Amino acid sequence: MKNKKQWIARILTVAVLLGIAAVMFVIGRGHTVYFDNKTAEYNGTQYSAFQRVNVTVNGERMAKLSKRDRGMATWIGQDFKMELEVTENKGDDPKIIPVSIKLPYGMDGIVVNLPELVAGLPQEVWQSEFVPVATVEEPEEEVIPEDDMLGDF
Amino acid sequence: MSQLVKPASGRSSGKGIGAFLAGNSVPIMFILICAVCIPISGFSVPYLLNEIMSRLGRNAFLILSLLIPIMAGMGLNFGMTLGAMAGEIALIFVSDWQIWGIPGMVLAMIVSIPFSVLLGLFCGKILNMAKGREMITSYIISFFINGVYQLVVLYMMGPIIPIAHSSIKLPRGYGIRNTVSLLNMRQSLDNAVSFRIGGVKIPVITLLIIAAMCLLIVWFRRTKLGQDMRAVGQDLQVAKDAGIDVERTRIISIVISTVLAGIGMIIYLQNMGNLSTYSSHSQVGMFCIAALLVGGASVDRASIGNVFLGVILFHTMFIVAPNAGTKITGDSMIGEYFRVFVSYGVITVALIMYETKKRRARASMGRQLEAEQQEAMRA
Repeated sequence: MKNKKQWIARILTVAVLLGIAAVMFVIGRGHTVYFDNKTAEYNGTQYSAFQRVNVTVNGERMAKLSKRDRGMATWIGQDFKMELEVTENKGDDPKIIPVSIKLPYGMDGIVVNLPELVAGLPQEVWQSEFVPVATVEEPEEEVIPEDDMLGDF
Repeated sequence: MSQLVKPASGRSSGKGIGAFLAGNSVPIMFILICAVCIPISGFSVPYLLNEIMSRLGRNAFLILSLLIPIMAGMGLNFGMTLGAMAGEIALIFVSDWQIWGIPGMVLAMIVSIPFSVLLGLFCGKILNMAKGREMITSYIISFFINGVYQLVVLYMMGPIIPIAHSSIKLPRGYGIRNTVSLLNMRQSLDNAVSFRIGGVKIPVITLLIIAAMCLLIVWFRRTKLGQDMRAVGQDLQVAKDAGIDVERTRIISIVISTVLAGIGMIIYLQNMGNLSTYSSHSQVGMFCIAALLVGGASVDRASIGNVFLGVILFHTMFIVAPNAGTKITGDSMIGEYFRVFVSYGVITVALIMYETKKRRARASMGRQLEAEQQEAMRA
């Protein structure tokens, strides 16, 4: 009986740990969101870049974008929220637009085209995956583990 | 604090200042070194306190992981390096999965547990085969497992164990880079809730975790398993005769220590913000053991107080020694060599003191036995 109880406790502990791990896996997924203030075309309509966009994430100004600029922010989780302060044309009053985006779990880097986003186009139009440019790297020197000198502990 | 300077062996009570000084010679020596070096180094008090607080949060959990094997009479667990390696492997995976911040840390801790348990079981089984020689055996096991770790991380990660991110993988396509950035996790625990008192940052959550760990150790000592461990630590044969499964108890103590070391390593590395894949773990056991000994612990007895006193003294010396060395000799490397020398030296002295104490005890027991026999013969 005691043995059975012990096994139940062990299985429960493992299940709880696995449950926490699964939750962490979802809520802790990090993304880098890139904001493009670039003119884009969709279905024959042109969506012009804004004169100026200020992007605020978590109360912190992450980017101040002029035309053709790109900014970035990091975000943990899939429910991305930001505030855009958009000046459409020179001399216009800036409009504040709160934005919520559901980030795709599988993408590390997500590029958001702001003019298309603000125009209310579907997500697949203004969102694309950021693919880093492949660079030919010099192979690192063979790793030689060191174990004699003390580093900064 | 009075409890902290109480000798680990507890022999000083009633034997005067001489015995007190003898029992606390290592912490007293370090207090003197720090007292001399702090003014010479020229560091301001807030800077020093800030550094000490940061290092306390970074290292205390790792050092606490050493207490349980000492309780079980297995000495200083140099095998805690195994747990550190498990923690590092977990961090490599979590970095590759792009789980950031505190969730990343928690996930890494959970992922490290199975690795730590397996390594702890392996270490515990071997240490059971080498009773009485646990420290040197665990030290050599850590070198052996380090080789296996390097084989896994350098050659298996990539082709056999899937690693997707090129920022982690070596450009040749397999193996992990020398340094893995933990920037997205850096000080996430320390900064989660923190405030400043007189310029000193207090990492509340980290300190709460350390406090919880201390309470857990205190509670654990009172449990049946904890009592068994103490009995095993005092006398193997007596414990066996009392019906305690000595081998199992010893293995459990090493497994617990390894798991805690894995978690401690993750706390340590999140504070640092990067992981030196092939060297972060190599000296961790040595440093933690040195810090514990500096705090007044011995091979067969250590307390939570020893951990905190050790971290404070050892790391104060670490902070001030290079600058003090520069001021005294004009060469910062002198300070660096000094702290290297002290780290190894304090372990050597502790081991010699332990052996001497054991021999004296054996000799005194022999003399007592002889006297009893002579008395019996005379009677």
